[in-house]
Amino acid sequence: MSPEPPPLLAVDRLVKRFGGFRALDGVSFSLKAGEVLGLVGPNGSGKTTCINTISGLYPPDGGAVRFAGERLGGLAPHRRARLGINRTFQSPRPFASLTVRQNVALAAAYGRRHGAGGTVSLAALLAMLELDHLADRRAEDLNSAQQKQLDLARALATGPRLLLVDELAAGLNPAELTRMAERLAALARDGMALLVVEHLLSFLDRLTDRVIVMNAGREIFEGTLAAATREPEVVRVFLGSDHAG
Amino acid sequence: MLAHALLGGVIYGCYFALVGLGLNLVFGVMRIVNLAHGDVLMLGAYAAFFLFHLFGLSPFIAAPVVIVGFFLLGLPFYYLVVPRLALAKDAEMLSLILFFGIQQIIEALAAIAFGSSERSIPGRVLGIGPFHLLGETLSRAWVIGGAIAAAAVLALYLYLYHTRSGLLTRAVMASREEALASGIDMHRISARAFAIGLALAGLAGVFAPFMLGSVTPAMGTSVNLAAFAVIIVGSLGNPLGTVAGGLIYGVGLLLMQTYASAWADLLPNLLLIGVLLVRPTGLLGRRVRLA
Repeated sequence: MSPEPPPLLAVDRLVKRFGGFRALDGVSFSLKAGEVLGLVGPNGSGKTTCINTISGLYPPDGGAVRFAGERLGGLAPHRRARLGINRTFQSPRPFASLTVRQNVALAAAYGRRHGAGGTVSLAALLAMLELDHLADRRAEDLNSAQQKQLDLARALATGPRLLLVDELAAGLNPAELTRMAERLAALARDGMALLVVEHLLSFLDRLTDRVIVMNAGREIFEGTLAAATREPEVVRVFLGSDHAG
Repeated sequence: MLAHALLGGVIYGCYFALVGLGLNLVFGVMRIVNLAHGDVLMLGAYAAFFLFHLFGLSPFIAAPVVIVGFFLLGLPFYYLVVPRLALAKDAEMLSLILFFGIQQIIEALAAIAFGSSERSIPGRVLGIGPFHLLGETLSRAWVIGGAIAAAAVLALYLYLYHTRSGLLTRAVMASREEALASGIDMHRISARAFAIGLALAGLAGVFAPFMLGSVTPAMGTSVNLAAFAVIIVGSLGNPLGTVAGGLIYGVGLLLMQTYASAWADLLPNLLLIGVLLVRPTGLLGRRVRLA
């Protein structure tokens, strides 16, 4: 019997400091292909720092990130994109003067994962994210929900194996939320690993039942979302008194 | 007299757009304030001076030599300094301090190497006789300096808007994080922009003896002041906004020299204060700053 392959993403005691402040204080978790992991916690708990460190924007101050068994070290973000790690941004800032199509085409041309097949055409990607009718509009003319869709299209255009999703649900209306959850679930079914930072727990609930709750740069809980809501420490630091009873 | 001042102002405006262009390109792409920009221009001016006096090379030959030379020097200099700077918590502030130090070093070394006396290149090397334009008689050296500056601005426009590398440069200017996530090698693009910025400053330097008068090691400071006025009036971070700033500066300077010459030296300060108080994003505003 062949040994089990390493997880696609393995985060091992990751530390990130800003001056004397430990934004990440020994965070560890792993993620397999096709798996969705939710990352929740109050503001400032280190969720986005975690995404920024895994995607290479911040060099870690300790610990390690391994992708498909390889330690990433100080690999530059654009090289991680080409390796198959991509992310969305909490507040996307697309290339304002370029069209929607150009934004996505640029990512497809420069960030495409080595070995990624011709999976989805740009036209199909834009259609999937309901951006096809906006393809020739400048990115700066899109509203914030559309910019989030564009940001996701940009990330998907690189053919990632691991997608880091940073608060994609914020600002979407209920119908958009449902469609977005379905899209992300479909990506996971096709084998993409998703790390989803989200405040909107009902959105997360549609994607996964495995969550990590963070506070002050540390994991304070790992398990199902339902169990998290019953954990006293989680209730105290994150969910607030409404959920305590 | 007014027509002469306006026409001369437009010519000078083209030149001052070139003076500010490299500074604004570097800021737009890297968010780095190159306080040594004026001193790079000064080195370009000395290069032109020595190429002419030692080898008899005209500024038309010195210009491509300086452009290529400064570009090639800019690439390793970028990799030596900027990636480390970018890791700092407050990279913009640190860049001010670092490039202020570099400016001081360049100026001191230039004073040691070249002496403090004023140097010049005779205007006749750019052609003999005045130039007639729209019924006005203008200095031939001015017109040639202004035309070459306008050509450089046009070349940068074509680079930014009609080449693949220019497209990537604009992407980095719009959002460095999104550019990285799109797989764009930010340092490669930034190094190129930095080197182009130095080459543009060097080119402005080649024609400085004709446009700004004599060349001295200390000229960088006043050039910097003019360059900052130009890019802040235009639009900080948008290289093409520099054109608007340059034209306003050039026309303003010539009008003041014509009608209130004693006050002309105050122009950069007045423009800076006026724009910062009334419209801090520059006359072309935020929209163009996003490139």
